[in-house]
Amino acid sequence: MFFAGKGTCFGFLQAKEDDLQHLDMSEREVVMLEIQELTKKYGKYLAVDHVSFTVPTGQVGILLGPNGAGKSTIIKSIAGLLRYQGGVGIEHMPARTLEAKRVFAYVPEVPAMFDALTVREHIEYIKRAYNSDITDQEINQLLTRFELDDKQQKLGRELSKGMMQKVSICCALAIKPKVILLDEPMVGLDPAAIKELKEVVLELKEQGVTVLISTHMLEMVKELWDLIFIMEKGKIIGMFNKEDQKDADIEELFFQITEGGEAK
Amino acid sequence: MKGLIYLYQRTIINRIKHALKRPAAYLMGAFILLYMAMIFFSFDMMIQEGDFGSPKNVVTILSGIILMLIPGNIISYSKRRGLLFRPSEVHFVFSSPVSPKMVLMFAGAKSFAINFLLGIAVAVFGRLWFDIGIFQAIAYFLLSAVCESFLEASLIIFCYGNERFTEKFFKRLVVLMYLFMAVIAGAAVILLLTREPSFQLIQDYFALPVIQLVPIVGWTIAVIRLMFLGPDTVNLIGTALYLGSTVFLSIAAWKMKCTGAYYEDAMKFADDYQKILQNKRKGIANIPWKKKSKLRQATVEYKGVYAKAIYFRQMLEYKKNATFIFGWNTLLCLGLGIVIAAVGYFNDAVSEFGEAKIFIIPAVVAYVTFIFTGYATKWSKELENPYTYLIPDTPLKKVWYATKIEHYRSIVDGILVTVPGAIVFGLNPVLAILTVLLYVCLQANRLYYNMLADALVGNLLGNFGKSMVKLLFQGFAMGAAIGVALMAGLILGVETGFFMMILVTGILTFAGAAIASISFTRMEVAD
Repeated sequence: MFFAGKGTCFGFLQAKEDDLQHLDMSEREVVMLEIQELTKKYGKYLAVDHVSFTVPTGQVGILLGPNGAGKSTIIKSIAGLLRYQGGVGIEHMPARTLEAKRVFAYVPEVPAMFDALTVREHIEYIKRAYNSDITDQEINQLLTRFELDDKQQKLGRELSKGMMQKVSICCALAIKPKVILLDEPMVGLDPAAIKELKEVVLELKEQGVTVLISTHMLEMVKELWDLIFIMEKGKIIGMFNKEDQKDADIEELFFQITEGGEAK
Repeated sequence: MKGLIYLYQRTIINRIKHALKRPAAYLMGAFILLYMAMIFFSFDMMIQEGDFGSPKNVVTILSGIILMLIPGNIISYSKRRGLLFRPSEVHFVFSSPVSPKMVLMFAGAKSFAINFLLGIAVAVFGRLWFDIGIFQAIAYFLLSAVCESFLEASLIIFCYGNERFTEKFFKRLVVLMYLFMAVIAGAAVILLLTREPSFQLIQDYFALPVIQLVPIVGWTIAVIRLMFLGPDTVNLIGTALYLGSTVFLSIAAWKMKCTGAYYEDAMKFADDYQKILQNKRKGIANIPWKKKSKLRQATVEYKGVYAKAIYFRQMLEYKKNATFIFGWNTLLCLGLGIVIAAVGYFNDAVSEFGEAKIFIIPAVVAYVTFIFTGYATKWSKELENPYTYLIPDTPLKKVWYATKIEHYRSIVDGILVTVPGAIVFGLNPVLAILTVLLYVCLQANRLYYNMLADALVGNLLGNFGKSMVKLLFQGFAMGAAIGVALMAGLILGVETGFFMMILVTGILTFAGAAIASISFTRMEVAD
């Protein structure tokens, strides 16, 4: 395993969730999302094996790997949906605390809507659940951006998978998060929505939001990434920082690691 | 918290609005009202005529309910399967900044509402039928709505939110609860065997100090006894323990650290429950202990093309099954056959019914077919497969080849249901074969009329409406078959009547299948 980036915080990665508050000020300013020795077992199956990485403030981290590599397990662990060993910190707080939950948003791989809530009511719910200061005008803009403005009154159970994914993304953005976790966000989206999502990710980055995307679709994250964490069989087998790699192609980097040779 | 209140508020309002737009909701509402009225009047009559209306009896009924509900609840909470979470809650609620304990309380709202409603029901009907005083009614309502809800909330938090005790601890708790239930059931069986079975016996059983002093369950019974029957040493001790444990558990639950480690189990249960719901909608029975069966290696020779390919593909799939086309239903049929034979034998049905003994098995089979909806098998999955519609063959042939194996299965099931009874009742071989044939016809009738109801009403009237339409068709077919059979039986003899019944059912079933074959012309259903 190697890491080719700058601004890393491996010095304190040995710390566990309870020790996250002991970081010094300079480190606190840089790191927004940190994973320390994350290990997750499903029965006897080791899904994630001592994974550690950090994503500094305002950067886009990509968890890249084939199906079953453990990407979604990591995202779900960060979102607090799974039990795990190790530590997950969001803005230097253990991820399970309510303070941490207030600043992060999660877009799951398979969106699930409330059957009896309309699209608009989903966002209204999020606004209240997170006490978000998003205005009605901003909600309208968000819905228009993802072509949902004419579907505001549709019930959750009446939506197609693609539309559910759009609503899920809008709900995450309505939080106005500092950290956003996107698990295979492009799956099920139409080309216009994929283009829009990519633009949104770049805008979030400009606003200083930390983004972690899990995907196996190299093409989709080509122009987005700052950091790549390449996963295989529950382990991170390679990490890259865009600053150091300059013009390197993401595909080339991926196959260099996974096949130990030339890019395909 | 604000978010959760909004969520539940909107969900209830939208569901009511949506239900009011559907004609099926009115039909269902009228049916429920009618059903409730029937229950009320029949209970009223039973209690008046049986001179059943005393506080002692309400205590017995409530004790039975407590004994059935509380251990079951503790088991399901300990397994972290007692509360229903939907995938949407996993998505939007679990990751939101809401205390995991609060999430549990909202999920438990249904249980608390049941406690509230039970409190009202017992207070009202207790006054009406069981001669309980106004203060007793109010006290019971407070116990059910307040104390029971506090106790249940504490148990939920203790079992779900507990991050201190290991999984092993809760597994042991479950085993302990099962043991407790076994002991309670065992004691009841011993009493039934050693003493004359009567209602008084049940009352004496609940009055046993050993029952009233069982933690939580028995203590709750003790409170009820104190409330309705007056104080005695045992129920006073039980009540003190109940109140003490409620206060203690409530404080413990309040102080307990809970970061949401249960979310993983709740998420898994949400997924499992979705599968159960989907299966239920398709009519597939859920067998909790059934594990994913391993498939064997198998081959099949396709002796035909077009629609016939559906039959051979199904045959290949069944050959890979360890039990081939047989399953739980086969065992149920064998069980039913043995029960018919045993009941007939012990009640001397041959001399009781005389010549009419030949109708015993058909009557039981017709009743079971009419009442139960049946189970979905591979044929119903054909309707979800786009390739079924693309096969260049007639819809009627597709219906036939998609369901052909069902008829084979019916023949085997029919033999299992018929043979034990046929031996006991001394039916001749012709009548036994006719009984098996009738079983096959009735099963086919149910299968095709289900398909017919699907094709004709689709989602227009909801599942309930669809079931009603199916029952209507089935009732008409059975009525016509019985009518013709009676006439033929009177004029030409019993065996001819029997044969005519099968013939008419067969013709009507075929007609149903022919109309239902439109299901195989397009995937879309009426909406």
